[in-house]
Amino acid sequence: MDLDTDVPMEDAVEDVQPTNTESQNLSKKHAVAESSYGQLDQWIEKLSQCEPLSEADVKKLCDLAIDILQCEENVQPVQVPVTICGDVHGQFHDLMELFKIGGPCPDTNYLFMGDYVDRGYYSVETVSYLVCMKVRYPNRITILRGNHESRQITQVYGFYDECLRKYGSATVWKLFTDLFDYFPITALVDNKIFCLHGGLSPMIETIDQVRELNRIQEVPHEGPMCDLLWSDPDDRGGWGISPRGAGFTFGQDISEQFNHTNDLSLIARAHQLVMEGYSWSHQESVVTIFSAPNYCYRCGNQAAIMEVDENHQRQFLQYDPSVRPGEPTVTRKTPDYFL
Amino acid sequence: MLLPTARQDKLVRATDLDALSCKVCASTKGYFGEKDRFLAPLVASYKSNLQFCDGYTALSAERTLRAAFSTAKFPLINRGTFLRTRALDMVVDRFVLEQKKCQVLALGGGSDTRAFRVLEKYSQVKYMEVDFPELVKIKKLAILKLEILQAAVGANEGIDLIEVTSKEELRDMYSDFVTERYALVGFDLRLCSKGDKAQAAAAFLFLDPSLPTLIISECVLCYLSPGDFVGVLRFFGDFLEHPSLILFDPMSLGDGFGHSMVSNLSNRGIDLQTFQTFPTLESRQALLEEQLGFSAYLTDMAAVGGFSVPDLNWLSQEEVQRISSLEMMDEVEEITLMLRHYSLIYGEKNQRAHFPEELQWKLQPKYK
Repeated sequence: MDLDTDVPMEDAVEDVQPTNTESQNLSKKHAVAESSYGQLDQWIEKLSQCEPLSEADVKKLCDLAIDILQCEENVQPVQVPVTICGDVHGQFHDLMELFKIGGPCPDTNYLFMGDYVDRGYYSVETVSYLVCMKVRYPNRITILRGNHESRQITQVYGFYDECLRKYGSATVWKLFTDLFDYFPITALVDNKIFCLHGGLSPMIETIDQVRELNRIQEVPHEGPMCDLLWSDPDDRGGWGISPRGAGFTFGQDISEQFNHTNDLSLIARAHQLVMEGYSWSHQESVVTIFSAPNYCYRCGNQAAIMEVDENHQRQFLQYDPSVRPGEPTVTRKTPDYFL
Repeated sequence: MLLPTARQDKLVRATDLDALSCKVCASTKGYFGEKDRFLAPLVASYKSNLQFCDGYTALSAERTLRAAFSTAKFPLINRGTFLRTRALDMVVDRFVLEQKKCQVLALGGGSDTRAFRVLEKYSQVKYMEVDFPELVKIKKLAILKLEILQAAVGANEGIDLIEVTSKEELRDMYSDFVTERYALVGFDLRLCSKGDKAQAAAAFLFLDPSLPTLIISECVLCYLSPGDFVGVLRFFGDFLEHPSLILFDPMSLGDGFGHSMVSNLSNRGIDLQTFQTFPTLESRQALLEEQLGFSAYLTDMAAVGGFSVPDLNWLSQEEVQRISSLEMMDEVEEITLMLRHYSLIYGEKNQRAHFPEELQWKLQPKYK
């Protein structure tokens, strides 16, 4: 779909005046979403009890979500105030804790920087919940794509197996991984904070170059789109080979140049486990935010989210794993160690 | 129902299945280059015999085995399993090549296959394995069934095949299996610390106390009480004239990962007793050198695997490239964190080997 990117999407649902047929189609689609609000509220209610949706409902949800996400941009504009969050990785109860700490959506605006699935035990519930919120409050929540929102990675790290276990077939996995292709890959908060899952790419010097990418595809093994979802900042200057086998490492010189070229104050990204939940690099030109406490139920780390207010003041909120009185811990598989 | 202490022992024995299933997965993924052909017979023996072990039924044994072997492990577990196996192999190889006539004593090796590899490769080496009688029996049944294992341990022809078909038969079966070069002995290591020392020494008659001996302990002593941990090492330090040790064990480092590990494993009923008593490389160095009179070289597995600064990695560049190409690993921070919590320690008493100087360590002996 070839959309005019100048249409202010953030206003599309409530009050945009359609100027062409594309936009009319767009508001028709959003009207469809609006008529589904009752349904969506029911789904959100069910999911907030950590109960997965039926396969048929996931199908409906993904159809609604595609209509909204395909209209979003590669560099999705986001307004302040907004609360920026990192990896969640299927830790559903900790996501509920996140909304308690940061304030409920839609009262608080949220920007999630990817990695909703894999590793944790509730990837299905986590991604279903976030996609429901996106469809219900499209202007209040932005969900970017992480390197785990991919067909290949989810077959190694758990989402595929979880779908098989919970639904008895790969249909739901197929629906969600097809949906992931539509997720925006970066966001720009008030033209000042560039947000993405991984990091920079040697093939991208300007934000406009990100806008030119064709993002609606599986995460490639190499190239700019891959790098944006896989790269990491590093203490060494320049570009380096990533130990992950995809993306690059980039030094302070690269970050500073990118921020200068694009008139940015900050690159906010996720992707790496950091023990305090957030971590500055490159003399505060890059921040890493990680929102899965005690990652994989094993790492013992804190999680964090970053609030950015109307005046671009930043505040980090840290939190620990949620206490889960209702959950039978004995049936949960102990994470692997070397024994 | 098992008594609480018996239940504890059963859970510790079950960690052998963790280790074996990790090795099977890493081997299948190609981490060891050639597949480890000794693994399959041990898995087969578990599949036939776990149901006859203490505290298991046919149903629970099947469930346990399915949980262990049916799901693939994450890349970080495969990589860590490879690193642990490779690092210990490197020490064993270097020790054997330097000492020439020597012996290896593996404590709590369970279903480990290193004995078969070492005996096949080095004809001058004697190898002894000691573990809970039940685990020893599972390994013995595998050996009795398969010629490749018999050939590796130098068993004479005409071995009687034993098939176990009930709990009583497994319980009454004689656990030990001894050839000229190999001994598999069922013995509770805690008796080295608590029991009559002369009686304990009798269990190790296969060894020649005057020969240089490398004691291997791979995630074994961590399950003992700190008192037994020290007692067992002291026993071998006295019993053998030239003992060397290679120890691979988790350590808490007193941080969040350590706390999570304690609570996760205690959910499984496993008490990591020495994990917190000796939480760091420094405290382990002090224990070995000051209390037990060993010279100790220490590192952690993150350093061995090239995940630390400065780079103290043990692998050649070709090897790093080979294993990196096997699986994409999106768990770099996590594997670094996890591997930092595993110590690898070489210690020696009444002898000075040269090979440790050729390997990279984080801490060198204070008293050489």
